[in-house]
Amino acid sequence: MSEGSEEYSAVQKFYDNIWLLLGIGIVLPTVLFTVWGLYEVYTLPYLPIVK
Amino acid sequence: MAIHEPQGNWWQPLSKDEKIWFILALVWMLVSFLYMPIQHFIGVQNPPSESYRVSAEDFEALIEAQEEKYTVGEENGFPVVRPNPDEPVYLKASMWEWTPVLELEKDKTYKIHLSSVDLVHGFSIQPINLNLMVIPGIDYVVNLKPTSSGDFRILCNEFCGLGHHTMVGKINVI
Repeated sequence: MSEGSEEYSAVQKFYDNIWLLLGIGIVLPTVLFTVWGLYEVYTLPYLPIVK
Repeated sequence: MAIHEPQGNWWQPLSKDEKIWFILALVWMLVSFLYMPIQHFIGVQNPPSESYRVSAEDFEALIEAQEEKYTVGEENGFPVVRPNPDEPVYLKASMWEWTPVLELEKDKTYKIHLSSVDLVHGFSIQPINLNLMVIPGIDYVVNLKPTSSGDFRILCNEFCGLGHHTMVGKINVI
């Protein structure tokens, strides 16, 4: 990783940042699957009942 | 930290072969991605896009009201209901039966409301292979237009307990 004063590309810096990768790996599925799914369930309207 | 961290400047531009495979995979991914909305408009079988919350008690009441109004007979102890295509049709899943037996007219479109009053069941019409999950508390609306007459079985394809294999309902298309 950070050997001497060598300059690395932005992609390498991104992939070497394991905490950022961990954060993205947790936040993205949580928001796109869990939070979005719960939002869909809780905002579902109640069945309009025709008596 | 990784067990074996890559050292030095390890990021290299893609080689020619990698670029070709990357572009092929990307193109195929975009085709598949775009086909999902296209399938929604041209497909003959789509998952229901209309759904509601409903309590088991309210759904049971709707089933009973439908039976009182449209029952035309009885089959194996189950009421046979011939619903009006202009009104919502209700089909209940419970351990371990589908109620009622529906008698539908060929080439008429019905809005079938599906819900479970206990636990998760699977709605599967055989032999045409239409499948979706039936979840308690949720009402799924399936637009169904029978295109051939005959008897169709409704199987439960989510394991729902000891009697799961006996959970077979029926749709008669006349």
